[in-house]
Amino acid sequence: MEANKFIVPIGPQHPALKEPGHFEFTVDGEVVTNATIRLGYVHRGVERGTEDRTWVQNLYLIERICGICSHIHATAYALGVEKLAGVTAPPRAQAIRELFCELERIHSHLLWVGVAAHEAGFDALFMYSWRDRETVMDLLEGLSGNRVHYSCNLLGGVKFDIDEAQRDAILRGLDFLEQRTHHYLDVVTNDAAFLRRTRGVGMMTREQAIEYGAVGPVARASGVARDVRVDAPYLAYDQFPVNTIIDTAGDLEARFAVRVRELFESYRVIREILDKLPPGELAAKMPRKMPPGEAISRVEAPRGELFYFIKSNGGDKPERVKVRTPSICNFGSVGRLTIGHQLADAPMILAGIDPCFSCNDRVVVVSTK
Amino acid sequence: MSIIALLIFPGGLFALACGLAYEWVDRKLIARFQNRIGPRWFQPVADTFKLLAKEEVVPAGVNPGLFTWLPVVALAGALTAALYVPMAGLPPAFSFPGDLIVAVYLLSLLTLCTGLAGANTLDRFSIVGAVRTLTQLFSYEAPFMLALLSPAIVAGSWQVSEIIAQTGGQWALITQPVSFVVALIGLMGKLELPPFDAPEAETEIVAGALTEYSGRGYALFRLGRGVELVVGLTLIAALYMGGLANPIDFLIKTLGLLVILALIQTLFARLRIDQTVGLWWRYGALLVLAQLAVIVGARLIV
Repeated sequence: MEANKFIVPIGPQHPALKEPGHFEFTVDGEVVTNATIRLGYVHRGVERGTEDRTWVQNLYLIERICGICSHIHATAYALGVEKLAGVTAPPRAQAIRELFCELERIHSHLLWVGVAAHEAGFDALFMYSWRDRETVMDLLEGLSGNRVHYSCNLLGGVKFDIDEAQRDAILRGLDFLEQRTHHYLDVVTNDAAFLRRTRGVGMMTREQAIEYGAVGPVARASGVARDVRVDAPYLAYDQFPVNTIIDTAGDLEARFAVRVRELFESYRVIREILDKLPPGELAAKMPRKMPPGEAISRVEAPRGELFYFIKSNGGDKPERVKVRTPSICNFGSVGRLTIGHQLADAPMILAGIDPCFSCNDRVVVVSTK
Repeated sequence: MSIIALLIFPGGLFALACGLAYEWVDRKLIARFQNRIGPRWFQPVADTFKLLAKEEVVPAGVNPGLFTWLPVVALAGALTAALYVPMAGLPPAFSFPGDLIVAVYLLSLLTLCTGLAGANTLDRFSIVGAVRTLTQLFSYEAPFMLALLSPAIVAGSWQVSEIIAQTGGQWALITQPVSFVVALIGLMGKLELPPFDAPEAETEIVAGALTEYSGRGYALFRLGRGVELVVGLTLIAALYMGGLANPIDFLIKTLGLLVILALIQTLFARLRIDQTVGLWWRYGALLVLAQLAVIVGARLIV
């Protein structure tokens, strides 16, 4: 440490972090003058692990990449493998997958609202949003039997159908959540004390968002209309489309507002799917060995674009699976955005991208030293 | 007689028990406001015994004498302050002209010791925490002092019992609402309660100035804070809510104030340290000064 530099280390063990990462904030008094990021503490070798498992076994391994957006990983993988095999899942299966995707987005965004509020020391919002999140967790458990890893995907379709009782339960749950979400939107856009911590903090212009390659709600809060669900519809998103939520402000308030407003889109789409669920089979027949070739699949996870590259050599195991999660795209912006802000804002700016460490983990060091 | 006052009532054991009980009420109320269950009634007691039984790690690079004695001085300061305020609604154990100033000074000792304890260690979180603790001390201390002096100026005395006798059961908070609010919020700043908890913001600097404290030292600081909460509430209730006539009166008034404190803690997001300083010097200090000017002016005319 140089004599005139004061570095505040955050992590790998720190109360602000729910997963390990290492951040070094160089501060001058309370103002951050430099930031470095080091990831890689929870690299689990999942990509290599896929090469030792069959196509079907991998579905369950892949789902465990993330504990929050588990379904979207399995969906991206299943879509890629189906593309390799030249099989399309039946329409009813596609619609049910989309329904799970949107339920997952609801629980992920509500979770994030709580975590981000806690970073700002606003524990009342944290406790209330997590209480209400239990509603959607119960719905997911009611549909699949599990709260976190729903395992609803099969290669070629889905496992579960949705019956009348489950449909009614979802609609009731959504009514409650919608009413609560109106309240949260009011809090994050109007609460004067909270706005002092979010308005104008972590400003990212449209140009910066494009330059740093931001994805998902972070990019959309800076006015970049980037949403795989709209740009390249997959599943049943062409039949049940969503609208892209955009905010041009680019600060933390905008990131809150974008995520909360996206919840309303999710509620609307889920109701539409339940209303017009196409009839038919739940799964198509899939071969045990996939024909040789390469496939990519892109989906919109709650945090942004999730990208899968899958290569087959014609065997019953993949030759290579490559995962690029949205957090890795957004991490680059954190280091730059914190510079010039107060130290107190740094954890909030970090939380603002909704980082998911173990999903994206690989050895990454962003250092300006 | 004075040995009982020092060790059992109203200082010593009674103040400690009261501090733990009020800490529990505070935690329980916040938990209920946040839709949580909250701790059981003996949780603060259990925490204290656990901490007292734990090994105290003295980190490398600190002055061991300071590290050990700062928590003791902090708790002693808070306990001594309890002797000069009407604890449990009974007259103060010791009273002399000017005891209000002594009580306020003793209440600041805890913050000062916390800041020194942070600055004593080499840990970076502690140092940032200590800087913030002392910055916060400088921002709320003057408005808080002025806020407590305004009933004193009205009564024309700096003796707590004399001020209470002068008001004759009249609620000063009706005639001096500004300084009442400033005193109450100043107490929150003193105790580093949310939203003024930037000095110990866990998502930034872990536990602030006390990060390196485990075991006995941490237990003593926590006890000191509990005692200071009770003493502070007693002082504000006595000066602004028409004195404390008996133990029931004491309980109703101080717990009423505690409900307000818990509500404020629930409602607001944490203020950054620059926002805290701005709030106190831009609004707190000026409002209290304006009110003092009115009071002094009124006294000169009448």
